[in-house]
Amino acid sequence: MAHYKIMGQDPYWMNFYGLMILTLMEVLAVGADLGPAANSLGTEEKVVTLWILTIIAIPKFIMIAAIFMHLYGDEDSGILTMTALFPAFFILIMILFVGLTHPNAASGLPDWCRPGNYGL
Amino acid sequence: MSYDDPHHPSPWGPHDWKHGSPHNSWAPFILSMGVAIFLFTLAGAFKWGEFQGWGKIPLIFVGLGVVGFGLLVWWRQDISFGVNGEVFEPKSAGAPFQNIDIRKVAMWVFLMSEMMVFTSLFSTYMRYRFGIASCQTVFESGEWVEGAAVTCFEPASHLIASSWFHIAPGAINTFALIISSFTIVQALRYAKMRDIDEDVRRKKITRYLGSTWFLAILFLTMKMIEWFLGFPLPEFLHEFNHGDSTINSLYTEGYLINADHYQHHEYDTHYLESNGHGLDHDSDLYAMMEAGSHPGGHMMANIQVSATTFYVTTGTHGAHVFGGIIGLSYMTLKAARGGYTPDNAVSIEYFGLYWHFVDLVWVLVFPFFYLY
Repeated sequence: MAHYKIMGQDPYWMNFYGLMILTLMEVLAVGADLGPAANSLGTEEKVVTLWILTIIAIPKFIMIAAIFMHLYGDEDSGILTMTALFPAFFILIMILFVGLTHPNAASGLPDWCRPGNYGL
Repeated sequence: MSYDDPHHPSPWGPHDWKHGSPHNSWAPFILSMGVAIFLFTLAGAFKWGEFQGWGKIPLIFVGLGVVGFGLLVWWRQDISFGVNGEVFEPKSAGAPFQNIDIRKVAMWVFLMSEMMVFTSLFSTYMRYRFGIASCQTVFESGEWVEGAAVTCFEPASHLIASSWFHIAPGAINTFALIISSFTIVQALRYAKMRDIDEDVRRKKITRYLGSTWFLAILFLTMKMIEWFLGFPLPEFLHEFNHGDSTINSLYTEGYLINADHYQHHEYDTHYLESNGHGLDHDSDLYAMMEAGSHPGGHMMANIQVSATTFYVTTGTHGAHVFGGIIGLSYMTLKAARGGYTPDNAVSIEYFGLYWHFVDLVWVLVFPFFYLY
């Protein structure tokens, strides 16, 4: 359990208020007309919305993990945070080498890494 | 050998928790076998969303039976923590988790594996989303002819984020999960309080766990409405929904994993002209139609990949919510009978970790699958 305060108040209630405000901001970002902002940035409105949602999702993620899941403020928080971050390396590999590869990557491989041509 | 003697194994497995012996259990292997049988036979029972017959059904239930047996073995071993009313919470003996509850470490390791599951689903989604041209792009390129399906990526958000009414179930679910994360942590707070009347503690824990259960049910109900049911609108709201009286479900819209002839009115040149939206004058399709080299019409799309990535990812998340409901049902009944004390409140904490994780995943699923 939390043995600390946030701005002198109960951390769970403060975290709850914060998460609700951030979620409201998410919903408002979806409903807002971001067309002018997108035009000035030279991109689509959808892309601006996605960036805003991603930026809001990061503190939400941290607030839930740190306060509700007790990865902050407990005796064992440090080692458990390291445990939770352990898959980050594999997640990075999957995002980079699966999620962001080109659709023709498999058929566009150089000869040296095709079956039967192992550079020998 | 006495069953109540903590020094000796119970009929269900090792039983020496008080003295820190390792938990040599067959339960994980039995569970894994059961899950494997269940998933393989379930996958084999369908082909492109079409049911292939009743032949695989008995094996599906065999898989579920093995899962149930594995859970029973696990439960029986863990329930043997408490002998004669005592509560033993075994601690890890070795580095790096020394003196941390073994079950807490196990829950975190389990959540790590869950992270990998959802990462694989997210990376698959990204791969297809960025690798296949969107249906809007294909439509405006004019590289299609009416009557022949083209393969393109149609994000579910095209339907879901099209109006406030369509997005309402997903938005309600977002708030439901955030609130449920708070209610479960409040249940833990009251379960751990020592300077509180037992009856007050029982009522508080039951209310907060019951609220979490209710919010989880609400989540799946909203999911059902969004996927299959849709909902009617009161008459005064029709004008805000293009004059339509209902909000269609994804199923009604034809957004299905076997949709190889998907059609949407926004990919229909006749609809766009008649409704005043018009075609984008900068698009190739507009130029081709002006030049008379494209007759226009209603584009037909094969959206099996996009629909599959959406349903598998959000369905996997929904299955986790369903698993949580089963756990919450048991815990709420236990709480109502006064089953939680400060000594065994950690069970709520460990379940809470799982539930917060489900909430965390939704924090990412909602913007990327519902809004983008």
